Order: sequence, then structure tokens, then C-alpha cells
Amino acid sequence: MDKFIKVTDVTKTYWSEDGKTETKVVLPLSLTIAEGEMVMFLGPSGCGKTTLMRIIGGLEKQDQGSITLAGDLLAGPDRRRGMVFQSYSSFPWLCVRDNIKFGTRYRKDISAAEKEEITDHYMGMVGLSAYSDFYTNRISGGMRQRVAIARTLASSPDILLMDEPFGALDAQTREHLQFQLMDINKTEKKTTIFVTHDVEEAILLADRVVIFSARPARVVKEIDVNAVIPVQDRRNNKADMQKFFSLRNEILEIIRAEYRQTMEAT
Amino acid sequence: MLKPLFVFRHALPRKTEIILGIFGFFLFLTIWHMTASSGVIRPEFLPTPFAVAKAFIRLFTERDFASDIIVSVGRVWFAFLLSVVIAVPLGLMMSTYRAVGAILEPFIDFVRYLPVPALVPLLVIWFGVGETSKIAVLWMGTFFQLILLIADDTKRVPTEYIESGHTLGASNGQIMRHIIIPAALPNMIDNLRITLGWCWTYLIIAEIVAANSGIGHMIWSLRRFVKTPEVMAGIIAIGIIGLLTDQAFRFAHARLFSYQRR
Repeated sequence: MDKFIKVTDVTKTYWSEDGKTETKVVLPLSLTIAEGEMVMFLGPSGCGKTTLMRIIGGLEKQDQGSITLAGDLLAGPDRRRGMVFQSYSSFPWLCVRDNIKFGTRYRKDISAAEKEEITDHYMGMVGLSAYSDFYTNRISGGMRQRVAIARTLASSPDILLMDEPFGALDAQTREHLQFQLMDINKTEKKTTIFVTHDVEEAILLADRVVIFSARPARVVKEIDVNAVIPVQDRRNNKADMQKFFSLRNEILEIIRAEYRQTMEAT
Repeated sequence: MLKPLFVFRHALPRKTEIILGIFGFFLFLTIWHMTASSGVIRPEFLPTPFAVAKAFIRLFTERDFASDIIVSVGRVWFAFLLSVVIAVPLGLMMSTYRAVGAILEPFIDFVRYLPVPALVPLLVIWFGVGETSKIAVLWMGTFFQLILLIADDTKRVPTEYIESGHTLGASNGQIMRHIIIPAALPNMIDNLRITLGWCWTYLIIAEIVAANSGIGHMIWSLRRFVKTPEVMAGIIAIGIIGLLTDQAFRFAHARLFSYQRR
């Protein structure tokens, strides 16, 4: 397997304010992700999966270990790793189009005309062309997340990091955006790490699901979802429900066991 | 039709709100007039609103009040802008770089609690009774408050905005100019408006203690002759100037930040 992203022996410890007690968040942890792969991070809440993703994004620094992207050692955030947050990160002082165009603002690889073209392209892809001139406080939460996704894609990152991007949305909007993301993924083939605690969301979207233990995070199990349910079946809503539910129960059982461990430990 | 007036948090039409606002003023004036003309309080202490209105006109026609106003407004704006020019960049830095905040915060918190009137004698010793000491009083009264307000506004910019900037490839300077400042600006302008109001309080203190011009000086010298209507007219003039400035700020705010309208 091609090792596009390579996480090697990464650890992370948080210290309490007085510096006396430490909380290990991530144990020595190694992981590889192939180019174009959609990887879902699952695990009990507070297990350190978001921390790991933020370390990969350069927004937090690991204590030890290394992360490489296409062979380059990574340190600090840059345009190669785009991030979509759970909270709405679109800018209220810009309209929808200018928000998306902001993604191209710091690109030096394309001309001004191309920036306009790319902006319109992604605005259309997330279905917001009709809302081009709307300020973001006039549009719904789901639309704001679409703005954030389009803005990130317009910046042309090598990998897309999504931190529970649909977590704050209602069920219908969430499902709509999940299918939209699958459509985008079909054309974009963007390497994506997606953190969620929603098992069904993970199975629906994943090429591979990585299940983490309770804190400190280590990989408990990796599941190649494509081997169980082909991606086109999921995309067309024709997934074998028997397989879908048995996979869901299998994953839930692992997470429950991990969760029980934390409860007993405290 | 009257029902909305009695429902908790029920919205009112803009026109009704304006009418109610004017009504509030009239209510105040009526009570004042009735009290003053009842004879319970001597007119040297409480003249009628009409006497004050006449005094207001006399101030302009007989005492060249307009040039006092110009002098006072000039002092307020000079000191205010001097505060803004220094406080805004420092406040931004305090919240973006923890080290700057850690150095400045305890000191500013200390200075902030020094009552400005208590500093007036010291400032007069340092700067004499000229313009400098008055500007210094106003500056002391606003700068240390404003810098903390600006720092707070900056702190309230969501971390996700800044992190988005980093992952979109913006440099620190670009994040400051393109994200932090636009995000904090509406609250900053609001705080400038509030701080400008405080400037007027300190102006009158400064002008009463040591000045030979300005609204405060005018009010204080008329007091000596117990010209109560003129004194009250002077105070009302400050209120009117304050109200006009405030409305101008609000109007500019609504125009500049129309995107906040729902």
C-alpha cells in the first residue's frame, strides 16, 4: 500500500495547569494512509482521535514521533492540510462567494482569473450558487458547513481533515451532506481524514475505518469497509443492509468495550 | 393594538419606539416644569425648562459658547484619537501574543484602578495648566480602559477562524489583517463609542480644575454667579453633543456592519 501519510510513533501528553499531573492522550501510535483514501477515525469520546487529527494538521505539536506527507516531514500548519471544523468557521463579514474565494487567496500557483473560476466551480459543487451574495448569518448551519468545505477545497490541499463537520447538524441535513460529500469524493479523490463518533456515518463514508481505544489513543482495529460493502453500493443507497448492520454492531461492540474500560478505570 | 406593549420581549415597530423615546423626554420635562413652577423649590436652585432654554440661547448670543464647544470637542477628539492609535495595536498584540499580554495585563490592571481625578494634581505639576495636562487627563482616563476592551474583543475571535487561516496558507500578518481585525472590528467600534463617552466625563473634570476655555470652564465660572439656568444649559449641551456623537457612531456601525443584520 502506498504510504501517502505516514504517522510514526506519535505521542502526546497534556499537563494540568499546575504541571503536576499528566494525561497521556496519544500513546506511541503509528498509522499509514494511502493517497485518495477516505479514512474515518472512530472511538469513544475524549479518546484522543481529534488530537491526533489536529497533530496531523499541524495545529498541535506531538511530543515525540514524526508525520510525513508524500515523504516530507511535517511541522506546523500549512495549505497542504485543509481543515473543516465542527463549529461554523465561515467568516460572517464575507458573503458566501467571498468566503469560498478566501480559500484561493493565498495560492500563488494560479492566476486571478483561475481563482474566480475555481470559486465558482466549488460553489456549484456544494450547491450554493443561488446563495452567492448571502452573508453567512442568513444561511442555515448545513449551508455554512458547505461553505467551509468549498472554501477548504478551493485552497487545494493535499489532504482534507474533517473534525466532526456534521456533528452539529440535524439528521436530515446531515444525511444530505454525507451523500454530497460522497459525490464530491468521487470526482475529487481527495485524501480525507474524518473524525466522527457516529458509527453509521463512518461506515457510509469510509474506505477504511480506524477504531481507537479509550484514552490514551491506540489503534484497536482497522476495517476495510470496501471489502464488506462496495463504495458504489453505499453511494447509490443500495448497500446490503444485513452486512451494514452486522458491521455496525461489530464496531459498536468494540467501542462499548473500550468505553467500559474507561468507566471502570475512573 | 396595545397588546404588544404588555408581552415579554415583544418587538415594537421602529416608529413606536421613536414616539415612546420622545414621550420619555416630555415626561421628564413635564415633571421638571411642574416641580419648578410649583414654588416648592426656589428658582435659583431649580429654574423652569423655559428659563433654561432661554439661557441656552443666551449662552450662544452673549457668551460665545460656540467657541467653548469647539475647544472642548477638539480636546476630546484629540485625546481620544491619541488613545485609539496606541491602544488598538497594543490590544491586538496582547491577545495574539501571550507574552505581550502577560507583560502588560497586570500593570494595566493596576493603572486602570487609579481614579483619574486623583491624578489631576500630579498631571498639573508635570504639565502645567496648558493643553497638555488636559489631554493627559483624558488620555489617562481612556487609554488603559480601551486597551483592555480591545484585547477582549480580539480574544473573542473564534480560534477556528485563526486556525482556518493557518490551514488556508495565510501568514501571521495576513491572519491579523484579513481575519482577526475584520472579525473583531464590530465590537471594537462599539467599544470606541463607549470610551468616547467616558472622555467627556474626564474633560469636564479637567476643565473645571484648570482651564480658561471650554464647556467645563464655562459651567464652572457661571456657578460663581449662581446662574443656575446657564449652568443647566451647559450641562444639557454636553448631553446633546454626546447623544449626537453616539447616534453618528451607531449609524456608521449599522452601515459598516450591515452583514450582522438578520
